[in-house]
Amino acid sequence: MTGLPRETQPDPALEERLVSTLVAAGLVRRRRAWPVWVAAAAAAGIVLTAGVTMLRPKHRLAPGRSYAVLLFEDATYRPAPAGHDAERVAVLSRWADSLDAVGKFERAGRLTGPGPLGGLFIVRATDDADAARIAASCPFTQWGGHIEVKRFDE
Amino acid sequence: MTDDLALVERFLRGRGEDAFRALYRAHTPALYALALRLTGGDQGEAEDLVQESWVRALTALHSFRAESALRSWLCGVLVNVRRGRLRAEWRIVDAPEVEPLAKGDGPDDAIDLERAIATLPEGARDVYVLHDVHGYTHREIAELLGIVEGTSKSQLNRARSLLRSALP
Repeated sequence: MTGLPRETQPDPALEERLVSTLVAAGLVRRRRAWPVWVAAAAAAGIVLTAGVTMLRPKHRLAPGRSYAVLLFEDATYRPAPAGHDAERVAVLSRWADSLDAVGKFERAGRLTGPGPLGGLFIVRATDDADAARIAASCPFTQWGGHIEVKRFDE
Repeated sequence: MTDDLALVERFLRGRGEDAFRALYRAHTPALYALALRLTGGDQGEAEDLVQESWVRALTALHSFRAESALRSWLCGVLVNVRRGRLRAEWRIVDAPEVEPLAKGDGPDDAIDLERAIATLPEGARDVYVLHDVHGYTHREIAELLGIVEGTSKSQLNRARSLLRSALP
């Protein structure tokens, strides 16, 4: 054996060129362009856990598109007193039920881990304005915090 | 080995970009080193070879067998892509006449050797690089290049002899 190096790092641009070629050839699927908050959540190791996650729609969905209603437990948020979490889940579940009755609820989840993002609802809205109205009706902000709405594409 | 298999399975599940990048980063430095030597140090051609090899490899990845090392399999793809190109260009793979090798003038033995390898005739260079640099056996080389083991051995001897006379 010669002892010559068996590995040489190529120009980093090669990786990008190759990925583009492979995507164009249909051999690799491009990473989804998730909203920034999803990447941040993933980086922070946030996982979906039980809670309002158990909610599932019971009614046929109305026409429109999906939106994510994001619940931020920021510095203004007042956590539930010990042992009272279930009451808040119940309040949010009733709100979800009211949306579900008109075909505007898809699913919900609680987000745990570092960072202020505490939960999300996926709702069905006819357009951005409708999504904003739905978000404004969410009882979450009675405990402080704030809500953001994003278009959600599967 | 197990890691490679896990990477391959992860990629084949969804052909996702991230899974591919993990495969790429694990094995491209070896592929590129091999490509550079097979092309006599031509960086542009070596990058083209690596790129085409990955395209071929991903097309055929489902046929990869776990009992062989992924790196060897990928290097085999690259060697065959290279040989296919040579045939397409109507170039002679085994140069019948051996050109005299230029004497290296660098202070570093490794640089001298790399330079001398680049001047070897194609057939002898392929075998030398695969055997003496990348550690393939004659049997593996014979399979990769579609030659008999005896040819691999004689090409290796030829390459070594040329290198001995070329190196200071």
